[in-house]
Amino acid sequence: MIVSRVARRLGSTMLVLLGVSLLIFLIARVIPGDPARIALGPRATEEQVIQMREVLHLDQPVIIQYGHFLTELMQGDLGISLYTNRPVMTDIAQFLPATLELVLLAGFFMVALGLPLGVLAARYRGGWPDNLIRVITLLTVSAPAFVWAVVLLLMLSYFLPLFPIAGRIHETISIPTVTGFMVIDTLLAGHWRGFVSALHHLFLPAFALSLSGVGQAARLTRSNMIETYDSPYIEMAQSYGFPERRIARSYALKPSLIPSLTIIGLDFAALLGNAFLVENIFAWPGISRYGVGVILQKDLNAIVGTVMIISATFLIANIIVDVLVTLINPRIRYAERSR
Amino acid sequence: MTQDLTLSIRNLTLSFTNWEGSTQVLHGIDLDIRPGERVALVGESGSGKSVTARIVLGTLQELASATIAGEVIVEGRRMQDMTPAEWRSLRGTDISMIFQDPTVALNPVYRISRQFHEVLRRSQPSIKRREAEERCVAILADVSIGDPARVLESYPFQLSGGMNQRVMIAMALINEPRLLLADEPGTALDVTVQAQTLHLMRELVERRGTSVLFISHNLGVVREFADRLYVIYKGRIVERGPTKAIFENPRHPYTRALLAAIPRLTGSGIPDIDEVSEAYHEPLVDHENIAA
Ligand SMILES: Nc1ncnc2c1ncn2[C@@H]1O[C@H](COP(=O)(O)OP(=O)(O)OP(=O)(O)O)[C@@H](O)[C@H]1O
Ligand SMILES: [Mg+2]
Repeated sequence: MIVSRVARRLGSTMLVLLGVSLLIFLIARVIPGDPARIALGPRATEEQVIQMREVLHLDQPVIIQYGHFLTELMQGDLGISLYTNRPVMTDIAQFLPATLELVLLAGFFMVALGLPLGVLAARYRGGWPDNLIRVITLLTVSAPAFVWAVVLLLMLSYFLPLFPIAGRIHETISIPTVTGFMVIDTLLAGHWRGFVSALHHLFLPAFALSLSGVGQAARLTRSNMIETYDSPYIEMAQSYGFPERRIARSYALKPSLIPSLTIIGLDFAALLGNAFLVENIFAWPGISRYGVGVILQKDLNAIVGTVMIISATFLIANIIVDVLVTLINPRIRYAERSR
Repeated sequence: MTQDLTLSIRNLTLSFTNWEGSTQVLHGIDLDIRPGERVALVGESGSGKSVTARIVLGTLQELASATIAGEVIVEGRRMQDMTPAEWRSLRGTDISMIFQDPTVALNPVYRISRQFHEVLRRSQPSIKRREAEERCVAILADVSIGDPARVLESYPFQLSGGMNQRVMIAMALINEPRLLLADEPGTALDVTVQAQTLHLMRELVERRGTSVLFISHNLGVVREFADRLYVIYKGRIVERGPTKAIFENPRHPYTRALLAAIPRLTGSGIPDIDEVSEAYHEPLVDHENIAA
């Protein structure tokens, strides 16, 4: 039944993507300025511009333009970027992995740091670990990711040169691109030093990006755990003398994880958005940075393509979270089956 | 003499401390349960029934804010002489507990079979799946569950309240405990279902010779179930004796008030007898001494 749930979610995801494509397509057309003229530069002749407009279907009604766009999209063709003069797909294939790498590690930090901090705080409720965690998490959620990016960059790269200032890997190392994920490509190339360098470069931006999510996950997990601990089935487990660790792990944690995972899934979307400033601060060649570049250039095809890809990534992340929550929560699983 | 008793509580006091100061909740409780005896502890809400059960179980002791004094002796073993780990090892094996609302007391994210298995492992850590399943099926039959296989495969939210209550009774008895603590069992269920499951429980404990401490605010429910009664009021036992004797001749004003309240609370209502009269503070009425 997991499969049918995923299938249904994929179906609705397609619909959402279609809506997103229409919306972003229309928005991109109403931004003032002539894309053909911008693409060709100020020295192009009027004829060249008219020709370019024909190539881009800009001379046809908007609805036809959208039709062209959709058929090409189905073929995996997002058109040519006016700015880089390359297929938008190629640009995305180049820039998306860098952002995904960043966002996935940030997501990992949210789960790997946020949940245990929350559990720890709940376990020592009112004690010093709880108070310490409260202060830390309050700090992390009270400033946006780019502030943390600047602060961490100044502290840990500039004053204390522990981490590289910019880039994805040490400039003397060159690795053939296979997946676009630097961490994976270095491993595929068997370049151990390159792998370490890639992780080293990845750490700080991902950490900055994840901080507010870590804080939120920790706070939510703490309050869920405390609420769960007061529930009758925990008292029952205690009254049966089940070992305290077992109660914490398999009785209290699992039900508390359900809301935390949902929030982490939503935060994941925010990560893609926040990635833009963080990528700029760390000179990270990612899709968010590319997206802003093409918006400023009014590069229509690239704008639409970038937004589509980011939406698709977000929707897929949501499906994954949804599946995880379903796996944990029998109530959803069974409501599903009886439908 | 306490050697022969399943449970013996002597001069038990309890107070809770918080930042405002401390509040005394139990003022010297004495209570005995003989092997195979069903004893009821009856009193209004907040009189100290649940805390008494939790002290016997040993869970309240783990609370830093609780100060406990007096003696609790289970089958001749004094709690004070045992380490917390030793006392804990009695939980789920020699002593088990049934809660008020079965639907929320069972773990929502695990199947019934898994919860049974965990309970069985308390007395037999290496029990095999097959054997566990056989024991479960047998005990579920004892609580009149027709299709044990389906129930074992279910999650609590898939079963009715009455069904969950039977499951909880079965779970509490599967390890053959000497002492069963039942804290307002089934009060959250509707009256007929509550009556049915209580009847079942009574049959089972009678057959197995399990001693029971039955906690209730409802004298009407207790009459069917208990051999002997303790009436608790504001952390003090105000009257004790055989159920029959107390029903025939209630002597403490508080007991009389409780009895007068019965018709109004055959459901899950809580007696509203909070008009405090001086008479309630009259000394203990002990029917056992009168009878002797
Ligand atoms: N953990 C605790 N901290 C502070 N006070 C408590 C705690 N647990 C119980 N009390 C207090 O102890 C008193 C007795 O509580 P208890 O739960 O034993 O009542 P009860 O007789 O079981 O009532 P009810 O019928 O409502 O269950 C109450 O006044 C309650 O407020
Ligand atoms: Mg109670």
